[in-house]
Amino acid sequence: MPLCEMENIRKTFYLGTVAVEILKNVNLNVERGEFVAIMGTSGSGKTTLMNIIGCLDTPTSGRYVLAEKEVSRLSDDELSVIRNEHIGFVFQNFYLLPYATVLENVLLPTLYIEKHKDNLEHRAIDLLQLVGLSERIKFKPGQLSGGEQQRVAIARALVNDPDLLLADEPTGQLDSKTAEEIMNLLREMNTQGKTVLVITHDQNIAAYAQRTVQIKDGILIE
Amino acid sequence: MDRLFRIISQSLKAVKAFKLRTLFCLLSVSLGIASISVIVAATEGAYKKALEIVDRFGPDAILVFGGGEEARATGERMKTITLDDIEAAQQAFFSAYVVVPMTAMRDVTVSYRDKKYQTLIVGSTSDYSRVWTWPVVQGSDFTDEDVKGLRNVGLIGQFLARELFGEVDPVGKNVLVRRIPVQIVGVLSERGTTPAGDRLDDRMIIPITTLMRKLQNETTYVSALRIRFYDQKNLNAYVEEVRSFLRERHKIPQGEPDDFTIISPKEIIKFLVALTGSLVIFLGVTGVISLVIAGFVLANLFLLSVRERTREIGIRRAAGAKKKDILLQFLGESVVITTLGGIIGLALALLSSKLLMYIAQFPIYFSWKAFAVGILLSWIVGIGFGMQPANRAANLKPIEAIRG
Repeated sequence: MPLCEMENIRKTFYLGTVAVEILKNVNLNVERGEFVAIMGTSGSGKTTLMNIIGCLDTPTSGRYVLAEKEVSRLSDDELSVIRNEHIGFVFQNFYLLPYATVLENVLLPTLYIEKHKDNLEHRAIDLLQLVGLSERIKFKPGQLSGGEQQRVAIARALVNDPDLLLADEPTGQLDSKTAEEIMNLLREMNTQGKTVLVITHDQNIAAYAQRTVQIKDGILIE
Repeated sequence: MDRLFRIISQSLKAVKAFKLRTLFCLLSVSLGIASISVIVAATEGAYKKALEIVDRFGPDAILVFGGGEEARATGERMKTITLDDIEAAQQAFFSAYVVVPMTAMRDVTVSYRDKKYQTLIVGSTSDYSRVWTWPVVQGSDFTDEDVKGLRNVGLIGQFLARELFGEVDPVGKNVLVRRIPVQIVGVLSERGTTPAGDRLDDRMIIPITTLMRKLQNETTYVSALRIRFYDQKNLNAYVEEVRSFLRERHKIPQGEPDDFTIISPKEIIKFLVALTGSLVIFLGVTGVISLVIAGFVLANLFLLSVRERTREIGIRRAAGAKKKDILLQFLGESVVITTLGGIIGLALALLSSKLLMYIAQFPIYFSWKAFAVGILLSWIVGIGFGMQPANRAANLKPIEAIRG
């Protein structure tokens, strides 16, 4: 059973009375442990696809099973729980809370877990060590470089031990050397067993993945 | 519970992080809370003071002055109560245990050797000390014989005694009241000052007969009458009895106003509360207005904050926060701020009431009530005005919020 199983996914937006079909019949399977890149230009529908994969949005029609659970018709609260337990997000602009420390940022997803867990702080510190930032746990994001901020974001995405690491243009704001470091880090996470899905428009970034899927005008091409 | 605790800890972090917003909200909320708790304390103070005064006045007593309400308002006191009225009242009211006539003369010069002082001379009977619960502490009271015999004897208040005699014992000494020699037979206990600032101990009491004949050349009228009753619970009924009794004796037709004024403890409370009432209402209106303004300031700053922190909300939602979590966080922020504002406001209220008491000798009394009202109001403002911004934050769609 694949980790993500999407069948006939459609997404239609309404601009006034005009219906715009952003995703047209998308079928996608991602196996556990895979490293997949979704490539597309802007306007191709890749952001909408990412939102649906990440359970930030629901499809207009179609079936989406994530970790053996049908999630395409869940309520807002249920989707929150799915995101919290199964998905770790990495964004292009890092999206750290500017007023919280590095450690507090990494701990953010643990605030919203349903069941009590011990040693969360310990785990967060271990993850920061893994991404090479154990010296900076008391820093504020503004005191870090772009590459360091993205490492914090990766540690945050991993803190609840999600099934899927979902990265949206993770290197878009970084120079090519730092981008390489970040992609190597993601690949390392993948070799340790994490399923990684990267959305990008960049051929060089997609090259890190085992498999690349193209999206064009709302349709997937392998 | 654990989750709620975690969410509120996020509220605290935000309150600390967004300092300017916190500062402005604190300023406006604390001023509103301060003025309202001063009002609560002032109202309580006024009642407490009124009860104190009634206690001193005698909760079982009434005082009847000559002249109706209108005459009193213009400051004139007509003399309408006669010695015959007093005698008749003594006969008529079995429920009363003491009925005492009084006539007062202000600014009468009293001299002892080379010292002169203008004071209040009260003419009364030997029951004066009893009817005011005002014991003679040195020497002795004057007697019924002194009253019947128009004798020139008197009791002296402690303030006047100090003015005229200094450290010398006044008992047995002779003073001149205008041109009449009066022998001091006793000294009244110390009473202090009224809230209006009158020195109660600046007075001399002489037999009412002596005062009327020798100082006023008066045979019939007295200025006031004081009655004490056995049963203070029925005082309101007694007031009405005395009223109809005097109206009948003075032959006042129905529909005409009284030609006398009855002051009862209830009357005193009414008067004192009305006196502080205008200030309480003024402060009350400003207090409520400032609190409502504080609420709007808070709501506005929070709406701005929600807009500014849209991305934060998106990040939290992506990380698994439910709508409820976002709502609680923002509501928590506003309640934390208003609670702090409430505490600061109460501190301000304590300070400003000290000042008010000092400047205006305004009775202010802080009890748990003022604090409870202050804190409760701060929560009401926090929840009431924080709800709308918090709701707006909670209802942002994750995909829209995350794009900022």
